[in-house]
Amino acid sequence: MEKEVITAIIGRYERDSGMLIPMMQDLQAEFGYLPPEKLRMLSQELDVPLSRLYSVATFYSSFRLAPSGQHEVTLCMGTVCYLKGADRISKRICETFKVEPGGTTEDRLFTLQAVNCVGACALAPVMIVDGKYYDGVTPDSAVKVISGLSLEDDEKEKAGPSSKSSKGSGASGKEVQK
Amino acid sequence: MFKVTIDGITVQVEKESTILQAAEKAGIWIPTLCYNPALEPVGACRLCMVEIDRGGWKQLVTACNYPVRRDLTVSVSSERAVKTRQGVMKLLLARAPESAELHDMAERMGVRSTPYPKVTESQRNCILCGLCTEVCEEVIGCSAIGFAGRGVDRVVAAPFRQPSEDCIACGACAVVCPVGTIQIRIHPDTGEAEISPFKSRVKLLVCEECGKTMVTEPLALQMLKRLDMDWEKFKTLSRLCPECRRKHAARAISFVPEKVR
Amino acid sequence: MIAADERVKSPEELKKVQKKLKKRDKSVVSVRVCIGTGCAARGSHKIYESFREAAENAGGGVKVEAKCVGCHGFCERGPIVVIDPGNILYQRVEEPDVDEIFRETVLGGKVVERLLYEDPDTGEKAKTEEMIPFYNAQRRIVLKENGRIDPTSIEDYIAVGGFTALLKAMTMDPGEIIDEVEKSGLRGRGGGGFLTARKWRSCHAASGKEKYVICNGDEGDPGAFMDRSIMEGNPYSILEGMIIGAYAIGASRGYIYVRNEYPLAVEHLRKALDQLRIFGLLGEDILGAGFSFDIRINRGGGAFVCGESTALIASLEGRAGEPRAKYVHTVESGLKKKPTNLNNVETWANIPAIINGGGEKFAKIGTKNSKGTKVFSLVGKVVNTGLVEVPMGMTLREIVYDIGGGVKDGKAFKAVQTGGPSGGCIPAEYLDAKVDFDELTKLGSMMGSGGMIVMDEDNCMVNVAKYFLNFLRQESCGKCTPCREGIPQMLHILDRITSGRGEEGDIEMLEELAELLADASLCALGKTAANPVMSTIRYFREEYETHIKEKRCPARECRGMFLYDIDEEACRGCGICAKNCPIDAITGERKEPHVIDQAKCTKCGTCFEKCPFNAVVKV
Repeated sequence: MEKEVITAIIGRYERDSGMLIPMMQDLQAEFGYLPPEKLRMLSQELDVPLSRLYSVATFYSSFRLAPSGQHEVTLCMGTVCYLKGADRISKRICETFKVEPGGTTEDRLFTLQAVNCVGACALAPVMIVDGKYYDGVTPDSAVKVISGLSLEDDEKEKAGPSSKSSKGSGASGKEVQK
Repeated sequence: MFKVTIDGITVQVEKESTILQAAEKAGIWIPTLCYNPALEPVGACRLCMVEIDRGGWKQLVTACNYPVRRDLTVSVSSERAVKTRQGVMKLLLARAPESAELHDMAERMGVRSTPYPKVTESQRNCILCGLCTEVCEEVIGCSAIGFAGRGVDRVVAAPFRQPSEDCIACGACAVVCPVGTIQIRIHPDTGEAEISPFKSRVKLLVCEECGKTMVTEPLALQMLKRLDMDWEKFKTLSRLCPECRRKHAARAISFVPEKVR
Repeated sequence: MIAADERVKSPEELKKVQKKLKKRDKSVVSVRVCIGTGCAARGSHKIYESFREAAENAGGGVKVEAKCVGCHGFCERGPIVVIDPGNILYQRVEEPDVDEIFRETVLGGKVVERLLYEDPDTGEKAKTEEMIPFYNAQRRIVLKENGRIDPTSIEDYIAVGGFTALLKAMTMDPGEIIDEVEKSGLRGRGGGGFLTARKWRSCHAASGKEKYVICNGDEGDPGAFMDRSIMEGNPYSILEGMIIGAYAIGASRGYIYVRNEYPLAVEHLRKALDQLRIFGLLGEDILGAGFSFDIRINRGGGAFVCGESTALIASLEGRAGEPRAKYVHTVESGLKKKPTNLNNVETWANIPAIINGGGEKFAKIGTKNSKGTKVFSLVGKVVNTGLVEVPMGMTLREIVYDIGGGVKDGKAFKAVQTGGPSGGCIPAEYLDAKVDFDELTKLGSMMGSGGMIVMDEDNCMVNVAKYFLNFLRQESCGKCTPCREGIPQMLHILDRITSGRGEEGDIEMLEELAELLADASLCALGKTAANPVMSTIRYFREEYETHIKEKRCPARECRGMFLYDIDEEACRGCGICAKNCPIDAITGERKEPHVIDQAKCTKCGTCFEKCPFNAVVKV
């Protein structure tokens, strides 16, 4: 049953091992992270050495080898956001919630990601929580927003920023209070 | 054939030869670390940098993989080339201060010490040349180890940083490692071979007579694939180590050394 | 509704569809709402929804259409809504404004003054886009249709003349097409600045039947979002450029590599590709010319280095994004060892305009060696933040002041950083430099992909250099020694300098390492990594020396290297600072000016953050 997912993913890309990264992205989209067992299956079915999959999984920042938190908090650390204090915001979040960039809080509430520029520099500093953008963030406001997250959000729509289609149906799922 | 003039010495080489090959022909030494004649040159360590004449300006290139496609004039001992190579070595010494092999090469290059502090951590002097991963993938065909991570925090490891399931402990990685990071350790008590620091432990075949350890089981299996022999036949042939086998054969033909004149 | 949803099998059929779609109903009132990432983040989707509803319920013979459009560029003033006829531009629109706009402007033809752009100096209101200084000094070729067309509507693109260039190109010889691109003088817009026609010619001439074209959408320079806006706002222009390029080069397969962090761009490109396939402009036997070509999108995995062409190719081969030696060029041996032509998003987007108007016309814009326009992302401490497209050769002063509106909050201009982590900082004395590839390189910086970050007197240039090095340290692939080891060495020195532990000889060591990186690194990431450091040393050496010798940060940014003090006159004695001070270094009576004990103060900055009256100052 589990193997079917792998077979489907590989088939989607015509078994082309050059499309390994899109395959792994699809795998991560399916499970929320890259489970080692699934990577082994992918390696076997695609006939690509497991060490190569592991190399790729640890080279690219978007891959996760451990389950992530229920919510995703992304902080932009691009030049403009940095110049406007993104570093201090990051430090405050880390101190307050006891988490490191790239890591997940102990209660699995959220994963904190630091990315290098999301291309919304007029809104600096930018924080994205479960796909929703917050602009002009301060250490205080960031903590406030994150404190409003709860583990009971089982209808978590981890649609990511693409939840907004161009014909604008708006974000689906529960919205986080500002 | 093209003419390559290196530090004044001219040699003739085939098209697509590398500057390094031309230098070897000319008898000129260029230091290398990530280069091995059995593998495709990668130009990663940047230790073999030399200057080539582009008619008007000089370009610094890596000798190990620069292809000769026309007549070339190369300078190995120009000030800029020497300074560049020494600079690279100084960075390496800062990273891997305990490698005897690295110090030897540094001496040979005229580098006594490094002005740089140690700011990056290496895995027992590993300089990330990639020879071990390449030999394992390209030559041995096991791909037991690979690079993990990116940038300064990169290491060579088996998947999930666990002992490898695919390692056959052939030792090729230890053989190609230029800085002495990888070591083969035999554990007679458990009958295992270990590739350190990857923590792979593999069962060794053991002589039924004297208990000496021989080749690793997976390596033997690998060889069998190429010899078209089955495992059972191999097991009967490999019950004994070469020493014991000789003794048995001698007894079988009643050969007693004293009787030979 | 006329749609481009049936396959056109010949140029004549395409022309027919074009003609039909160009006949737009002029009586329709069009409401264009920007849904680019910037405006969307400020809720423009809701605004669009409200307009759409209002348009549906309008009735009474009034024809209104609400449309989603891509980035206009004036991100500072988002969300942006434009009403046609009249090209009336409303900025900083909020959801509650929708009713009024609909009533007054859409139905009533009147202007809502308060939502118009107001010049901060003169107070003058600008009714249309052309009247706003931010826009009227620009020359929009690549961004021409951004903000006008619905980026998910191929019909919109055709209605404004889309695919005319493709029709023209397919009546030309591949050699003629390349000649036209050569006449235009187009140089790569991603940072390399390489002559595009030369690449195309080499790839065309390379042996082998299987060739590839790639679009590099891995825009990774922090502060740069030009490519994002083109991919989101007018993906068709890129695709048209790629089809023309593939035809000229003889490629049958194309790839668009889009950064993972740009999901909207991926979505719009996907939609555009689907539509082009249905329409017959991708796939087998395009327009009956016997030319087959299709494109696939690959998303990046999150690695800045994949913006480098050989690293990008490695990624497309399912490997870690490590660059490789370029002694044999990718146009000869690239993806899967086949001839591959890689160009940046903006480069591809320029092709239709070049083919339509001719290379010579294009070459009339710009400077001697830098033709055409360039899209810049003007960000940082500037009044008008956003995307601007200007002819090459415009001065920095014109861009920062005339278009950008000058430095924010009345602060003094200090430098403009161009070229991202591979570039450098240019100080005030060069504000009159003409912006083009060679000028910027001469000044110790580079064009790069087009990021332009304005910095003011409060920015510490040593800290800026440190920021970029830290960025590169995380993004270095780790393959070659100089980059992998040299960047941490430089960072280590800058760390010391910015924390009061700088030493005599530090600048010299930075210079030596910079030379080593430039000479010995394998790829451009390493080779240019030291540019931010070198350019700041070149123009702001005294700042470095003050940090090292006096252990003081003149810009008052580096923690511990400047003092905090309380302005007696501004202080209201509320006591918030004293309460929050983690080591009780502040004393004072209620309603009396408070005082910081400098001997105790750890310079953590908490009092500065908490003071509601801005009475805590940096000295």
